[in-house]
Amino acid sequence: MLLKPAVFRGLCRARDLLHGVPERPLSVEEVAREAGISPFHFIRQFEAVFGETPHQFRIRSRLELARRLLAAGNHSVTDVCVEVGFSSLGSFSDLFTRRIGETPSGYRRRARSMVAVPGRLPQALFPGCLSLMGSLPPSAFRSFREASPPSL
Amino acid sequence: MRIKLTSLMVEDQAKALRFYTDTLGFKKKSDVPVGEYRWITVVSPEGPNDLELSLEPNANPAGKKFQEAMFSQGIPLAAFEVSDIAAEFDRLKKHGVAFTTEPTPAGPVTLAIFADGCGNLIQLYQPVARP
Repeated sequence: MLLKPAVFRGLCRARDLLHGVPERPLSVEEVAREAGISPFHFIRQFEAVFGETPHQFRIRSRLELARRLLAAGNHSVTDVCVEVGFSSLGSFSDLFTRRIGETPSGYRRRARSMVAVPGRLPQALFPGCLSLMGSLPPSAFRSFREASPPSL
Repeated sequence: MRIKLTSLMVEDQAKALRFYTDTLGFKKKSDVPVGEYRWITVVSPEGPNDLELSLEPNANPAGKKFQEAMFSQGIPLAAFEVSDIAAEFDRLKKHGVAFTTEPTPAGPVTLAIFADGCGNLIQLYQPVARP
């Protein structure tokens, strides 16, 4: 599909609206309206551009925020659950465990044990640009060696 | 000093690998688990010894903020050269890829921009044939 500039801007606006945790979350139809896009096309266009539906995007964005807050270590699991807009601790824990692969409290414990610099997120969980390279086995650099002149 | 590697941040590495290989047609070169993430690189079958492109997680909040800001401004974070931009435009559209810019003459190149579904805009360009 070819997106008109106004639709592209609307989709970016929708993405920003779905990111936050407002007092009263907007329904997907309301987000579409706010973005000035027909609800009929909205879900399909959003998915084509961002790779997931608005609903999936919102859930993932909240779980990511939860991961960051848990890793920062200043908040209890209950606080984080409320902070990211879940009203039930049970459904938050279930969803977090299903998607992230461990319970919120387990993740919090593990993340905190990895913090090297207080107040900074552990790099193994929140890697920066090209930082994963440092943890690779030497075989991963085969291509680099092949390209080098043979040693004598 | 040589330029052998560049990287793109992606939202979901598994999905990105599918898009960059199945849809765009690149070949996987490395795929090594690193903690919760993977070190994934792809190369072009048309230039397997060209630059390697690493598909990195955008888990770092700073990286993500940058990526989203550039996206909102319509700015692509990588550009790939093609020899028939009209054909690529048609082919990718049939795959359901969303373009923000259709093939458009821009000085020495014709360019088009699409969303990779992983948080980035990507530019395709075809150099204009010289007389």
